[in-house]
Amino acid sequence: MATALTITNLRFTYRSYDGIEVEPLLSNLNLTIGEGERVLLLAPFDKGKTTLAKIICGVCPKYFPGALEGSVSVFGHDLSLTEPWQLLTEVGYVSQNPAEQFIATTVEEEIAFPLESLGLVQSEMAERIDWALEKWGLTHLRDANESELSGGERKRVLLAIQDAIAPRLWLLDEVFDDLDVEWRAHLQQVIAQEGRTTLVLASRYLDEFADLFDRVLLLDGKSVVEMERGDLLDRFAHLSGDDRPNPLGAAPIEPRHTHTLAVEDLVVERRRRNALRAAPFELVVEGFELQSGEVVTLTGANGSGKSSFSRLLCGLDEPKSGIISIDGVPTSSKALNRTVGYLFQNPDLQIFLPTVEEELAWSLKRRSDLSSREIKDLVSEAAELFGLTLTDTPTTMSYPGRKALQAAVYYLLDRPFYILDELDSALTYHSALTIIAHLRRRGAAILLITHDRLFASKVGGRGYTIEEGRLRDA
Amino acid sequence: MNTSTFVDGRGWLYRFDPRAKILLMILLCVFFFLPITLVGLAVSVLLVIAVGWHNTGTRNMVSVLKSITPMLLFMLLFAPFNVRGGEVLLSIGSVTIITVEGAAQALRLACRFIGITYVCTLLFATTVMGELMLALRFWRLPYKAALVVTLSFSSIPFIAESFSQIGESHSLREAADEEKKNYIQRLKDLLPTLTSVLVVALRSIPNLAMSLEMRGLGRSETRSSYRSLDSYTHLFTDFVISITIVTVLWLIFKA
Amino acid sequence: MQQNRNALKLAVTAVLTAVVVVFTMIIRIPTAKGYLNLCDVAICFIAFTFGPASSFIAAALGTALADLISGYAQWAPISFAVHGLEGLLIALIVRSKGDHEASFLRKIIAGIVCMATVSLGYFALSALFISTAAVAAAEIPGNLVQSAVGFILGLAVSSAVKRAYPPVSALSW
Repeated sequence: MATALTITNLRFTYRSYDGIEVEPLLSNLNLTIGEGERVLLLAPFDKGKTTLAKIICGVCPKYFPGALEGSVSVFGHDLSLTEPWQLLTEVGYVSQNPAEQFIATTVEEEIAFPLESLGLVQSEMAERIDWALEKWGLTHLRDANESELSGGERKRVLLAIQDAIAPRLWLLDEVFDDLDVEWRAHLQQVIAQEGRTTLVLASRYLDEFADLFDRVLLLDGKSVVEMERGDLLDRFAHLSGDDRPNPLGAAPIEPRHTHTLAVEDLVVERRRRNALRAAPFELVVEGFELQSGEVVTLTGANGSGKSSFSRLLCGLDEPKSGIISIDGVPTSSKALNRTVGYLFQNPDLQIFLPTVEEELAWSLKRRSDLSSREIKDLVSEAAELFGLTLTDTPTTMSYPGRKALQAAVYYLLDRPFYILDELDSALTYHSALTIIAHLRRRGAAILLITHDRLFASKVGGRGYTIEEGRLRDA
Repeated sequence: MNTSTFVDGRGWLYRFDPRAKILLMILLCVFFFLPITLVGLAVSVLLVIAVGWHNTGTRNMVSVLKSITPMLLFMLLFAPFNVRGGEVLLSIGSVTIITVEGAAQALRLACRFIGITYVCTLLFATTVMGELMLALRFWRLPYKAALVVTLSFSSIPFIAESFSQIGESHSLREAADEEKKNYIQRLKDLLPTLTSVLVVALRSIPNLAMSLEMRGLGRSETRSSYRSLDSYTHLFTDFVISITIVTVLWLIFKA
Repeated sequence: MQQNRNALKLAVTAVLTAVVVVFTMIIRIPTAKGYLNLCDVAICFIAFTFGPASSFIAAALGTALADLISGYAQWAPISFAVHGLEGLLIALIVRSKGDHEASFLRKIIAGIVCMATVSLGYFALSALFISTAAVAAAEIPGNLVQSAVGFILGLAVSSAVKRAYPPVSALSW
């Protein structure tokens, strides 16, 4: 059996921009995959899984500067001598973050681009595109722009693209996430297909994985290990921090005041992102209340209106009708801006300073009632609590680091209410729960938005859910 | 942010070959600058508007007019500064407001301005972006240039969306001190938002480059094209029509 | 070896062009010509952070596309020429060898060139092709303010971005 992928003694270190020496991310890594095999590589978040994927595609270190030692070869091509475009029909990569892989203006053009690179004739391209669109249920979205698609639809577009190209090795990063049950089953069939080599990277072990793979591997520390499946899953749980006690249970709460955020007769006008679908419709909120010290979850399918509702609670939008009140007093949008902190899912939306220390101090410096000594102390305390290094450059920190920084910034703002939008995407459950515990420390109330019901159950507490245009108790 | 200029409609302009449409647009713009009678200019412009109205509908025509109205008013306001010598048209007491030549010049400039605006707008309103790029490539625009334009259009929505989300994110962060803010303060406060937006945009660059190469840009095979202008079967006829229209107008209205 | 940088240059040019378009269209204060906007902030940022070639293309193409999309098609060729020249000249003036930042004097000169190019350029070309010298002259104050503010903010943003995101130096061409 020929080998699809051979990695020998791989060692990779990202380039450091502040002169401080960085430890290698991957070291002594060996991995061999035979042609036709189906392999699952489990790796906790942020330990090099995506970097490894990019190395296999030949785009790292070309686009992600760093030092690479060792050898990587795909179907006999030595990657140090190969340009990424030569691997078009050899490796197909579906990224964890679909937005970074879109280059065209419509779904159809997106699928057409790589086929044009292959120099195919127009009729063959049309055939492959129609077939791929139909297979992944995207025919009605042919002319849609990426910004109009939901997360699940974007993943399906990326999968459709690979189906149209039909590469020999499929490299799928967190691809089951965001897909609903029907499409996950579909994906399982695709992976199980004969003659195809598949490497799936995942940071959560899903039930669907049980019978699907020939081999299951683990990215343990800096290298890949293979062991008996039961032991491997235990080790994986340990690395992800799943066996540690729930941070929410242990954390102390010292509430200073008790506040309540409540809504009455609220109707939310949901802005539909795309012009293709139906006209905007409404979300009716039957009742909602949030009290200091609580952690409340809000679950619902993608696109059900969770974000629209949250934007109302922090005063970014106005409701169609109804009142939002704090401690029984109807509150204006401007006042809500000052009282309810909203942590966008994307932490990069407010990072703009060169060091963690400056980022944390910025909001504090604008206040007139703090001395620089006090500011320094508060900043150090927050950095320590959230596990941040004061001299790091935020934009070059890892994703969990930037999420922690975002949370720390809001922690210092000391708002009585916090809304966390999809905190658990791309973080281990343990990290996410730790952040919630820290924010809740001084008695703030937390509304957690998620579409992952498993995470919601780990959080415990009261819950609301959105179904068919109504927000009600879970 | 809406980047689409296309207006859904019916009419012969939509069936006209885009390559010939570009030629027609350029020839008409040149025509408006040629020495033609004022009446001829006005009539030509009205013809353009009529054709545009027939093809793209009233709403589009009106919205174009709305967007150029400020400029037209300015032209009207400054008309007295035009040609001062010659026959007086309007005066208050002994002060000449405007001469006949001055009024004529103002009218000519206005007509030309309106004409060029509508001609350009109609080109973009009746041609889909993809076909427009193909037509430009026919006129020798290099593939890379067309690709840059297409990639820009794909990047615009996400940068615009980031801009507004970042603005909101910063305003939530600064919410406590909203009160008194003069213009200098407002500009300074724009700085964090602009910095974050640019960082977000810059970060997308390696991903874009990486995706382009992973999707095969740079391969040795000659690149084929999924879209083509083959559905337009009257290229030669449309070229002839374009040239004829402008030549006829010139012959009739030349001064 | 993996040395071919074509895709990166394309990506840089495309994204920077998009940035200019967005900055031009997102915040607008109405005037006679169209709007006062942030395009000069974007152009100056690019000129201070990237090389002359990308500055020229992004500025020229970005402002022209923004004009086309907003329905001011007749200004597109003028914007292309004027802002393209603006981007090119500023980038050439402040271009530094190695890591040294441009001197204060160079920055002043660049600022003056920026304001002059935009106001005179628009004045001259508008007077010739759009309307009359009188109408075109009325736009000079607005253009002076916009380019001056744009230059100062662009300079500030450029230094902020370089400090916040060091990898940007690897992107410039």
